[in-house]
Amino acid sequence: MLYAVIWKELRDISRDYKTLAVIALLPLVMMPLMSMASIYVQKAQTGYAYVVDEDHGEGCVGSTCISSEEIAEIIKKTLLSHGFVILDHPGKEILDIKVVIPRGFSHNATSLNATAEIIIYQNVASSKAQEGIAAVNSVLNDLTRRLAEAKIRLLGKKAGIYVNPGSILDPLSLKPLYVNPEGQSVSYKEAFQVTLARILSFSLIFVTTPSIAYITDSIVGEKERKTFEALLATPLPRWSIILGKAVSTSLIGLVTGVSDAVGLILFFTIPSLTYGINMLSFLTPQLVGTHFLAVYLSVVASLAMILPIIIRSGSYRSAQTFSLIIIGGASTIFFMSLYADLSNLQAPLMYILYLIPYTHAVEMIRATVLNHYLNALLHVLYIMAIISALMWVSLELFSEEKIIYSRT
Amino acid sequence: MMEGEGILHETDSSLGGKGLRYAAILREVSKSFKNMKALRNLTLKVPQGKVFGLIGPNGAGKTTTLRILATLVRHDSGYVEVLGMELPKMRVEVRKRIAYLPEDAGLYGRLTGWENLLYYAMIYAGKRRAEEVAMKGAEISGLSEEDLNRKAHEYSKGMSRRVAIARALMLEADLTILDEPTSGLDVVSSYSIRETIKDYVKRTGKAVIFTSHNLLEVEEVCDEVALIHQGRILDSGSASSLKSNYRARNLEEVFIKALGLAEA
Ligand SMILES: Nc1ncnc2c1ncn2[C@@H]1O[C@H](COP(=O)(O)OP(=O)(O)OP(=O)(O)O)[C@@H](O)[C@H]1O
Ligand SMILES: [Mg+2]
Repeated sequence: MLYAVIWKELRDISRDYKTLAVIALLPLVMMPLMSMASIYVQKAQTGYAYVVDEDHGEGCVGSTCISSEEIAEIIKKTLLSHGFVILDHPGKEILDIKVVIPRGFSHNATSLNATAEIIIYQNVASSKAQEGIAAVNSVLNDLTRRLAEAKIRLLGKKAGIYVNPGSILDPLSLKPLYVNPEGQSVSYKEAFQVTLARILSFSLIFVTTPSIAYITDSIVGEKERKTFEALLATPLPRWSIILGKAVSTSLIGLVTGVSDAVGLILFFTIPSLTYGINMLSFLTPQLVGTHFLAVYLSVVASLAMILPIIIRSGSYRSAQTFSLIIIGGASTIFFMSLYADLSNLQAPLMYILYLIPYTHAVEMIRATVLNHYLNALLHVLYIMAIISALMWVSLELFSEEKIIYSRT
Repeated sequence: MMEGEGILHETDSSLGGKGLRYAAILREVSKSFKNMKALRNLTLKVPQGKVFGLIGPNGAGKTTTLRILATLVRHDSGYVEVLGMELPKMRVEVRKRIAYLPEDAGLYGRLTGWENLLYYAMIYAGKRRAEEVAMKGAEISGLSEEDLNRKAHEYSKGMSRRVAIARALMLEADLTILDEPTSGLDVVSSYSIRETIKDYVKRTGKAVIFTSHNLLEVEEVCDEVALIHQGRILDSGSASSLKSNYRARNLEEVFIKALGLAEA
């Protein structure tokens, strides 16, 4: 009997190629787009910069030599990589920043009794100027460090003693170490995986919507197209109608799950190509597997939540309203997971969140990243318990009379 | 009431559907929607092995009656049994033995006509016997193989209706309930559907109950009819006995006269 419902629903679903294609493509397009967009936005804001070398000088501290021309070039390159257009001559374009290496810079920078400065004029109306100043500063910081080390080494040599430049420049420092919640130290890679888990949780936002649309159509649509009444008079057990529709539409979740996982890989490939860091190495099979499971369970949970409502309400409008509420709630949790550790929240709020299945989807991924597999399993069981309870509620609310006479 | 006084215990549940004189019995059945009384102490007996017609104007309570028989609506008071089984208590059992075509029932548009038949065949007969049952449906529908392999949303109203009726009749249920099977169809289509229903009952010996506004149609197809008005049965019997009782030329006149008597 269950077989018959699933057979029919799958046929029905698979005939709607267009919607199916959109569902499969949504994460595949959205995730790389998000990735590209964030890189693009950073780079897209162009600014105009003008770098003048008034010094045309060179200087050396011991064996460390600098030339103002070379420094100007480095500053230009850095500004260029931050999306600045470097002007050769100041023209009619409104400048965001102007960098001047004044006369005597090289001399002063390499002397033992003077200080050198670079002058930056910034356009107060430009937000891009801030970014430019930060970029120039990063160049100067490198240079300052290099010159300071060279000067210390030179002084040490002159005094005839061995000096470690680091002990003079950084006599004190802060040493950041990554530890897991138990206080055991973890590598930088593992630390990054926690961040990754957050991004993964966030990507769940794209997967719950399509399945909700499908189950709504599968129930409200049957009422509206007048096929439900005949079905209700058949010997199909009521649970098999509910379960059959939920199982079939949850397969949409598998489609979204796969496409979300692929989208995720693209999400990390693009920055990898741009920045030359191999981010893909952070995606372990366990993580991809858990993510996939989290996607599927989130989808089934969404279906289970919407079912009691659409079984009672009936009209597309009310079903859609409730879907929006559920999707909104889910998105909030997925979004919160970007910023907060859900499990570290205060007791009353935590218990409320624990009733919401999406919390466990997020926690599942987090637990996997921290290698707490037992904990991850526990969250899987939590979701399944919530899903079962909701299914039971749907079955209890199932009333042929209410369905037939509900306004569509 | 012309017939039916004192009918109390003529059924024997142990016999199941066979050996019963009546496929369905409603006794003193009432049903209200909020303040609206849809059925008022309605009493009706649907005989075995015959075509039974329930006729009456819009809002008379025909659909409500059929929905009660189809296990979908619970009556407020009175007694209802279908194939010797009391409703709503035995609804799960009853569903296995009836077929129901709702008023303006639709098909699944994205499935083909054949798949629509196959779905119901699977539900009633199981995976293994489904094709065999659906083949019967294909035959009853009278649609060509080519048409049956088209998606149902491409069908005309008449084609959809033919498939929907075939979907109910192919099951050869002990009681088939058809709500306005010919409404909105042209003369030729309704004629062929009437023939289909008559043939079916002759061939299988099962009971069919259907509703209609078209009194000529009812007169032609039905072995027995009941006139329903404002949730009550005005009268029932064979078309010929009703006509002679009311000294009427056709059922239309019977209806008008019965209505006059009821309101007098
Ligand atoms: N959901 C409902 N809420 C309120 N009243 C209803 C509802 N459904 C039916 N009714 C009322 O019950 C009465 C009987 O309705 P029913 O559908 O059984 O009539 P019918 O004989 O099938 O009419 P038609 O020939 O138009 O199909 C009508 O007066 C109708 O207004
Ligand atoms: Mg009706």
